[in-house]
Amino acid sequence: MVRAKSDCVRYAPMIGAREGELSTEEARALAAHLEACDACGARALDLAATEGLVSEALLARAAERDFAPFVDQVMARIGHEAPAPRGVLSWLRRHWRGTAAALTPAVAAVAVFLYVRWEGSQPGEMALLEFSSEGNVSTVIQTSDGPVVLLDDDDEGSGS
Amino acid sequence: MEADDHALVTRAKAGDANAFRALVVRYQRKVYAVALGIVKDPDLAWDVAQEAFVRVHGHLGDFKGDSAFSTWVFRITTHLSIDAVRRERHSQRQDMDDVQEAELEEGGEGILSTALGNDPRQNALRRELAGKIQEALATLPEKHRTILVLREVEGLSYEELAERLEIHKGTVMSRLFHARKKMQAALREYAGLAAADGPEGGEDGQGDG
Repeated sequence: MVRAKSDCVRYAPMIGAREGELSTEEARALAAHLEACDACGARALDLAATEGLVSEALLARAAERDFAPFVDQVMARIGHEAPAPRGVLSWLRRHWRGTAAALTPAVAAVAVFLYVRWEGSQPGEMALLEFSSEGNVSTVIQTSDGPVVLLDDDDEGSGS
Repeated sequence: MEADDHALVTRAKAGDANAFRALVVRYQRKVYAVALGIVKDPDLAWDVAQEAFVRVHGHLGDFKGDSAFSTWVFRITTHLSIDAVRRERHSQRQDMDDVQEAELEEGGEGILSTALGNDPRQNALRRELAGKIQEALATLPEKHRTILVLREVEGLSYEELAERLEIHKGTVMSRLFHARKKMQAALREYAGLAAADGPEGGEDGQGDG
C-alpha cells in the first residue's frame, strides 16, 4: 500500500499533461497507473470534466466589460490622443480654416444677393452696389427686371 | 493571424499609432482576462492590462520577433500581474509545491466528473460553476492562480510554464496539481457536492494505489 500511495504522489501531478509534455516512459507509466488506480482515474475524469472552465469564465468576464475606453486610455498614456470622433461637427472643428476659405465666396455672394434684393425691393427703386476685384470695378444694379451686373465700366450694357 | 501581428508590429515600430491601436484592440480582452485571473480585482486587472500595453509600446524596439507577439504581451502581463499581487498581499503561506501523500487522502475525486459527466443538467451545472470560477480562483494563493490561468487561458505547455515562471518542469506539474485540487474543492463546495467519502475505494489505500 505504501508503495501504491507513492505511485499516486508520483503520477497524480502528471494527470492532465498534453501530448508530448511527458516523456515516452512517463506517459506509458502514467497510463498503466491510471488503469490500476481508481482514485487517479477519478482525478483524471474530474480534470476532463472541468477543463476549460477557468478560461471560459475569465474570458466571459472580459467580454462582459465595456472595453470602449480601454484603447483610448492606452493611447493617451503613450502620447497618442484618441482619434477625433466622426461627424460633421468634429470634421468642421478640424478643418475650419479650409472650410471658411471655401465658403467665403459663397457667403459673400449670398450677402450681395440679399443686399440687392433688400435695397431694391420697392417698385421703381434701384439698388446700386459696387465691388472691385484686382483693380476692376463691377457694379450691380437692381432693376425691375432683376439684378444686373455691370462687369466693366467701358462696356455699357454688357453683362446681366 | 500571427502574420497580421507581425505586419502590425512592424508598422507600430515605425511609429504608426493606428497599427499599435489595432494590436491593443486585438489582445485587450485576453490580456485583461489573464490579469484578472491573477490579480483577482477587476479594476487592478484593468490597470495591469493597460500598463502591459504601455510597456509593450515602450519596448517595441526590443522585440525581435523570436516569439509570437502575443506570447511577449502575455509574458509582460504575467510579470506585471504577479508584481501587482505581491505588492498588495501581506505575508501568505502556501508555498509548498511538493505533493504529499496526506493530500491525496483528502478525497473528493470523481465527484465533479460524476455530477457533470452524464447528468442531463450538465450544461446548467457547468454554467453555474463557470459563474463561480472567479470566486473560486480568488481563494487560491497567487502562485496557484497564476499557473492555472497561464495553463488554461494562455494555454502554455509545461515547458513554457517552466520558462515563464522560472521553475522546474516537475514543480510545474505539482503546482498545477495543487491548483486544480484546490479549484475542484472550491467548485464542489459551490455545487454543494460533498467530498467526505470520495470515490469508491478512493480513501483507503486501495483507491490510491
